[in-house]
Amino acid sequence: MRDASLPKRRSELGEILYHLVRDPLGLAGLVIVMLILASAIFAPLIAPYDPIALNVPDRLQGPSTAHLMGTDQLGRDTFSRVIWGGRVALQVALPTIGGAIFFGLLLGMIAGYGPKWLDNLIVLVFDTIRSFPTVMFALAVVALVGPSLNTVIVVIMVTSIPTYGRVVRTLTQSLKEAEFITAEKSLGASTPRIMAVHILPNVLGPLAVLAAMDIPTVVGLEAGLSFLGMGVKPPTPSWGSLLNDGYNLIRNTPWLIIAGGIPLILTTIGFTFLGEALRDVVDPKLRGKGGK
Amino acid sequence: MTALLEIKDAVVRFAVRGGVFRSAGSIDAVSGVSLKIEAGQTYGIVGESGSGKTTLARAVAGLHHASEGSILYRGQELRDLPESQFRKLRREIVMMFQDPIGSLSPRLSIKSLITEPFRIQGMKDRDLDAEAKRLLAMVGLPPEFASRYPYQISGGQARRVGVARALALDPKLLIADEPTAGLDVSIQGEMLNLLARLQDELGLAIMIITHNLNVVRQITDRVGIMYLGKLVEEGDTDTVFANPRHPYTLALLAANPEPDPDAQLMRIELQGEPPSILHRPTGCEFHTRCPFLQPRCSRDVPAWQLDGAAAHRCHFPASWTGSEVEPS
Amino acid sequence: MTVLDIRNLSVSYATPRGELKALREVSMTVPERSIVGIVGESGCGKSTLISAIIRLMAPNAQVGAGSVAFKGDDLLTLADAQMRALRGTEISMVFQDPMQTHNPVLTVGRQMMDIQYRDALSKAEKRKRAADMLALVGIPDAQARLNQYPFEFSGGMRQRIAIAMALMAKPSLLIADEPTTALDATLEVQIIKRLRELQDDIGCSILFISHHLGVIAELCDEVVVMYAGEVVEAGSVRDVFHSPAHPYTRALLECDPGHIKEKTRNLPTIPGSIPDMVNLPGGCIFADRCPMRFEACATRPAMAEARTGHKAACHLIKVEETA
Repeated sequence: MRDASLPKRRSELGEILYHLVRDPLGLAGLVIVMLILASAIFAPLIAPYDPIALNVPDRLQGPSTAHLMGTDQLGRDTFSRVIWGGRVALQVALPTIGGAIFFGLLLGMIAGYGPKWLDNLIVLVFDTIRSFPTVMFALAVVALVGPSLNTVIVVIMVTSIPTYGRVVRTLTQSLKEAEFITAEKSLGASTPRIMAVHILPNVLGPLAVLAAMDIPTVVGLEAGLSFLGMGVKPPTPSWGSLLNDGYNLIRNTPWLIIAGGIPLILTTIGFTFLGEALRDVVDPKLRGKGGK
Repeated sequence: MTALLEIKDAVVRFAVRGGVFRSAGSIDAVSGVSLKIEAGQTYGIVGESGSGKTTLARAVAGLHHASEGSILYRGQELRDLPESQFRKLRREIVMMFQDPIGSLSPRLSIKSLITEPFRIQGMKDRDLDAEAKRLLAMVGLPPEFASRYPYQISGGQARRVGVARALALDPKLLIADEPTAGLDVSIQGEMLNLLARLQDELGLAIMIITHNLNVVRQITDRVGIMYLGKLVEEGDTDTVFANPRHPYTLALLAANPEPDPDAQLMRIELQGEPPSILHRPTGCEFHTRCPFLQPRCSRDVPAWQLDGAAAHRCHFPASWTGSEVEPS
Repeated sequence: MTVLDIRNLSVSYATPRGELKALREVSMTVPERSIVGIVGESGCGKSTLISAIIRLMAPNAQVGAGSVAFKGDDLLTLADAQMRALRGTEISMVFQDPMQTHNPVLTVGRQMMDIQYRDALSKAEKRKRAADMLALVGIPDAQARLNQYPFEFSGGMRQRIAIAMALMAKPSLLIADEPTTALDATLEVQIIKRLRELQDDIGCSILFISHHLGVIAELCDEVVVMYAGEVVEAGSVRDVFHSPAHPYTRALLECDPGHIKEKTRNLPTIPGSIPDMVNLPGGCIFADRCPMRFEACATRPAMAEARTGHKAACHLIKVEETA
C-alpha cells in the first residue's frame, strides 16, 4: 500500500526544541533561562567578589567599574550577591517544584483514577492546604522550627502540591474516559500499568508547562519570605534579602533594591516566555499545522 | 459441538443516578439478547444509536458487567468472571475500537502499541521487534511504521494498527466495533477485504458491530438486527437480506439506497425517533415508530418466529416482494 | 438565473511544508430552485470550497484567481460588512455536527429570535415565526419547545432546528455540509424528505455536500464530483450516476456498498491515496490511481462534454468522440 512519505523525523525532544527556537518568544525565554542557569551554576567563576566578604569602608557606593551594581551597607559587592543569590533561588526552586511535582502526580493520579471516596479525601486535603494563606502557614512553621532555607523549601512545596495535584487530577479524569484507555483495559492491562504507561506520559507535558510558569512564582515566594525575615539567614545572599536590605535604604541608595528586583523580573520573563512557548509546542496537534 | 461464543438472554444494566427531583433507577442497555457464533464465523450486529450493540460487544470483551443471563466462551461462563481469570482469555477475545486514532495511546510508538499485548501477558521473552514487523506485514503496513506515532498516521492506517494489535496473540474471536465508520468509501473495501483475508488465513471468528447494513451483507455469515437493546430479527445473512420480515429491518434496508436516481425505493419510512430506554414502550417496543402498527402491538410482546434460516419477532411481519413492501 | 456561479476558483493554504493547493480552478454552477450535490472523499476540497463561498476561511488560506458570483455579484470582492449582511439572510448554512451547532447556554427560542435581529418585527412576531419554522421542520409542540435548551433535544431534532434556523429568512442559497452524516440512516431518510419539501416550498437552491451516494441520488438534481481539489465531473444526477464519464466516478460508484449486489470476499477499492497537494504531480490529478491511464494523461485534461450538460475532465472523452 503506497502512502505519502513523511519528512525525516526527529526525536520527540528534537521536535520540541526545533519548534521552540522558531518561536521568537520561546527563543528569548530559552536564552534568558540558560543565562540564569549558567550564572547560578558557574557562580564561583563569574562573581568578581566573595558575596559575604565585608568591606565596610567601601559601603554604599554607587555602580562603578569596580562594583557593577555598587556595594551594600556592609561594603559587600552587590553584583556578586545577585549572582550567588541566583544559586539560592534555584536551590529553593528545584527541590520545591520537584517535590510538588512528585507528590502532585502521585496524589493527583490516584484521585483522578481511583475510587470516588479516595478522590473526595484527596481533594479535601488539597482544599485544606489551599485554604491557608501561604504567609500565615510560613509564619506558623517558622515559629515552630525557626527560619532557614529548608523551612522555605518545605513551606512552598507543601502549598504548591494542591495546584499541581488538581491539574493532574483533572487531566487524569479526562484521560480515564479516553478510548485508548478502554482499549488497554480490553488487552488486560492492570491499573498500575495503565497509570504508569498510559496516563503518566500524557500528563507530563502540561505539567512541565505548569512547572516552568511556576518557577518565577516560587522564586518570588522565596524572595518574599526572605524579605520578611523568615527565610535565609544573613549573611547568605538571596534576592529576597537583597530586596529587604534595599528597601531599608531606598531613599539614598536605590540601586540596591533595583539590583534585587532585576533578577526576579528576568526570571519571571524568561520562564514565562519559555512556559508559554512550551505549551504550544508540547501538544503535537498544535505544532504549526496548516489548513485542511 | 460447543459454539465458540454463546450469549443467552444477556442483560447489561446501568444504574441511573437520581437527582434532587428524580429517583435513582436503572436502564437495560442490553435487554435479553441471545445468539451463537461458531468458530471461524462472521456475525454482524446491526443497529442504530441506542440499540445497545456497542454495549453488548463490550460486555463480551469483559469491559461491561453483564447483570443477567450468560455469556459462554467455549462453554466457560464469562459473566462475573474475576479479572484475574479473564486476563488469560484476553489472548483469545480481542476488540477493535471505533475511534481509530483515539484508541491508540498517543505517546507510544506504533511498535510499542502493537506489542503491548505481549508485555501485558508477561511474554517478554519474545523478540518484540520481529513480532512488530510480522504484525505490520499482516495488515499491509510497511515496517517503517513501527517508529511512527498515532498523530502522524491517517485514520485508515490507524485502523490497521488497531487490527495488528488485536491480532498480536493469535486470537480466536475478534470484536470489531464499526470497522468502516468514517472511512472513505473507496477504502472501506480495503478494511473489509483485510478482515476477510485474516479470517481465511487464521480461522478467526469475527463479531462486527455496525450501523451499515451494506457492510454486513458482504462479509457476514449471520446477522442480528438490534433495536432498543433487543434483537428483532436474526439469522443467516443471505436469508435475512433476501427475505427481510421485521419492519425495522425493512426500514434499515430502505435507508441505504443504491446510488441510482431511478432505483425502486422501498417506500417505508419510520416516524419519530427511538424512544428513551428509561421509558420503554409497552408490548412490542418498536410499535411507536412502526408504519404497520396494529392495536395488538402495544399490548403483547412478540415471540420469536422461525422462518427458514432466520427468525424475527413481529406480530405482523411484512415481506418484500421485490418491488414493494407488503404488510402482513 | 444562476444563483451561484463559481469560475476558476483557486485556494491554497500556507503550511510549514509549503503551499498546499487545496482548490485548483474549480468551476461549477447552482441554478435557481435546484439542489446540487457535491460528492468527494477526504481531501477533495469540499470544506475549503464552502468556506470560500461563505468567506469564513482559515487565517492561512489564500484565494488565488477566480470568482464566486452570487446572483451576479462576486462574493470575493465584497466588503466584510456586505458579506455579513448576506450570511444568514441570503446565504445560510447547516453544518455537520448537530451536537455542537447550537449555543448550549441559550434556549432554542432565544437563539432563533436572536438571528432575526435584522428584521423590524416585534418580539411576539419573531417568536411566532420561530415556532412556525419549528413546526415546519416537524418538531411537535413548537411553542413549548422554544423554551428548551439544545441539550434537551436529540441529535436528529437539533439538526432539524439547525435547518429551521437556516431557512427562516428564506435564503436564496442553503449550503448543507454533510448534514446527515452524523445521524442514523433512518433519521437521515426523514430529514432528506423534509429538506426536499422545504426546498419546494421556499424555492431556494441547495448546495448539498455528502459522501453518501445513495442520498445524493435521491435528493439532488445535479451533482459535482470532486477529487483532490479539482472538479472531475459535473452533470445531472441521472447522467453522472447512470453513465459516469470519469474513471474516478466510475470507481467510486463501484465501491459504494449500496451498489454491490452480489456477495463477494473481494470488495472493490481504489488502490493508492490522494496525491501530495503541496508538491503536485503534473498532468491529470487522478492519473496515478487510474486504471485507464495512457500517454495523454501526463497533461492536465480540460473539462470535455460527454453529452449536453454532462462534463468530465478526462482525455478519454475526446478519444471516444473522435473514434
